[in-house]
Amino acid sequence: MTDNGLTPEEARLVTALLDTVIPPSDDGRLPGAGALGLVDHVVQTLRAMPLLRPVVEYGLGALAERGFAADIAPAERTALLAKFAAADQLFLPAFLFLAYSGYYQHPRVVAALGLEPRPPHPKGYPMGPDDLRLLEAVRRRGRRYRDAAAPAEQGRGRPSVTRS
Amino acid sequence: MAETTADVLVIGAGASGAALAWSLVETRMHVVCLEQGDWVDPATLPGTTTSWELRQVGDFNFSPNTRGRREDYPVNDGDSPIAVSMFNAVGGSTILYAAHFPRLHPSDLRVRSLDGVADDWPLDYARLEPYYAENARMMGVAGLAGDPAYPPKEPPLPPVPLGKLGMTLAKGFDRLGWHWWPSDSAIATRDYEGRAACVNAGTCLVGCPQGAKASTDVTYWPAALRRGVELRTRCRVREITVGPNGMATGVIYYDADGVERRQKAEVVVLACNGIGTPRLLLNSRSPQFPDGLANRSGLVGKNLMFHPYAMVTGLFEEPLEGHKGPTGCCIMSQEFYETDPGRDFVRGYSFEILRGFGPIYTALWGMTTGRLPWGAAHHRAYAELFDHTAGLVAICEDLPEPTNTVTLDPELRDADGIPAPKITYRLSENSTRMLAHAVARGQEVLEAAGARATVVESPLRLAGWHLMGTCRMGTDPRTSVVNPWGRCHDVRNLFIVDGSVFVTAGAVNPTNTIQALALYVADTMKRNLANLFDDDP
Repeated sequence: MTDNGLTPEEARLVTALLDTVIPPSDDGRLPGAGALGLVDHVVQTLRAMPLLRPVVEYGLGALAERGFAADIAPAERTALLAKFAAADQLFLPAFLFLAYSGYYQHPRVVAALGLEPRPPHPKGYPMGPDDLRLLEAVRRRGRRYRDAAAPAEQGRGRPSVTRS
Repeated sequence: MAETTADVLVIGAGASGAALAWSLVETRMHVVCLEQGDWVDPATLPGTTTSWELRQVGDFNFSPNTRGRREDYPVNDGDSPIAVSMFNAVGGSTILYAAHFPRLHPSDLRVRSLDGVADDWPLDYARLEPYYAENARMMGVAGLAGDPAYPPKEPPLPPVPLGKLGMTLAKGFDRLGWHWWPSDSAIATRDYEGRAACVNAGTCLVGCPQGAKASTDVTYWPAALRRGVELRTRCRVREITVGPNGMATGVIYYDADGVERRQKAEVVVLACNGIGTPRLLLNSRSPQFPDGLANRSGLVGKNLMFHPYAMVTGLFEEPLEGHKGPTGCCIMSQEFYETDPGRDFVRGYSFEILRGFGPIYTALWGMTTGRLPWGAAHHRAYAELFDHTAGLVAICEDLPEPTNTVTLDPELRDADGIPAPKITYRLSENSTRMLAHAVARGQEVLEAAGARATVVESPLRLAGWHLMGTCRMGTDPRTSVVNPWGRCHDVRNLFIVDGSVFVTAGAVNPTNTIQALALYVADTMKRNLANLFDDDP
């Protein structure tokens, strides 16, 4: 049993599956998901979203039964996963959610996308001034709203319902 | 402990409850507010973490059903194409809103007279205008004066930045000769009233750790508490009690420990949103009000209006820096706002420009729209999406339909055992045609701005933010629940100040109007304290 509660075999299976859905990029700039240690993320997210757990656990077991394993060729893993996903509409979207949500917040990936790997707050992002001269065309087209004062309300200032 | 009687008991500490409590407390009355949620600690908001996008679909999900927090109540929205969004906390749904802060148009309050549909409001734009202005000062509205789509108004703060994304889309609107204008946004674009300026972090929809976004926990509430309002959190009201004379006497609620309590009050004000308010009234049955409190008209829970949304996302060749800037606010177009007899629908819609998607949401959106494969082709497809999307939503006016309702679910209950609301809602033919028009025009403007492809999602399901119409106002007790200043026709010391009282919906985000109405109701109460419970003139 590993620290995250999975057996070593289960952890290898999840890692292989992560690498299958997000393999390394051809140019080597982006790692495969299996290389980022996302198994803990998968487990923690399933704990936080327990409704996903049965479908993911079922899918992992079913794939293992069909021969999906860490030690088979990547092309064979891809073929097995595609075949399983064609017959089971639930597992793959759930697993992709887990994979994408972990992969695309990982510092290595975020940096490779050109962003600073940090929380948005408190630093935020600088933005330059806008050229609002474009609005001149909108102004030239003139007023667009309809005059719609109710007859009984027209001419009233600050309201009062004080009775006479 | 001796049971005290509040002069005014406000139920709900969100947008309207905060504004009303702040306004009323200058009377020196004892104002008590009960809120089922708690304070949100800014330091714990998702924007302070790298997992903020994931938390948007988890513990900060728009849907109370998905969040499932102790303070949330479940909403059965299975019989509706639009799912209910809300947040329960001090600040209410302003904690998660985009802070888009437009006003209604003058025509929105006169739809029967102008367009022959629905009903006119019993007040007009001129009556609301001073309260819009006061609310702009209190919330800190950023915008640019001179919008030809509105009567003159002067936002106190400069507009939020458009950025590369906004300017790209603005050029698209200009190429078509369509109206656009920098959005009015309740966002401090510079330091304002103790709030730090926006840093363009783009996490508005999961709360603003900076305090730049005007949620009422950082605007009205600090001022209201300094003035002496008593705010009790984690207190969920079960029912409003009535005396033999048919007047409200107070409430029964559960405190933070789940212990049943009572609070007496001279005046009760409901500020629980367009779902929570009818739910509470329907849960407050008595021999005098067997169909629910203040429901002799039968209209409590009827005429539920959302704003049906269509979302059109454009894919662009150029990177757009879409992760920068306030999420929901940038540009608004009201080219198609007013009724045009040449169209096959009445009334109209606004376009609101959205920022781009963050890394995680890009992947999830790509997956759900079928544009992002897994496997070997993943990275190439992702590179075409990330920072290359810009979208808009069309926010369509929804007309009131008595068959769109909030009722009590016969089985579903919250954590305190209180019956939960059930939504029954159908898109009208008018809304369906309006959505189709908006989708086509949205694609047209995105293509004019340079989009190489567009993706349509219509109607958006998890977009039921705007909860309106379920206790509408009017002069006739047979056709409305509250009078023109928010007092229930049937119970003269019971007031409603949330979106329930809307007669029609307009085609803009309602928070500014909800708060302006709350300030108007409070002001009217203050001016009439000596004869607050008298007959309507």
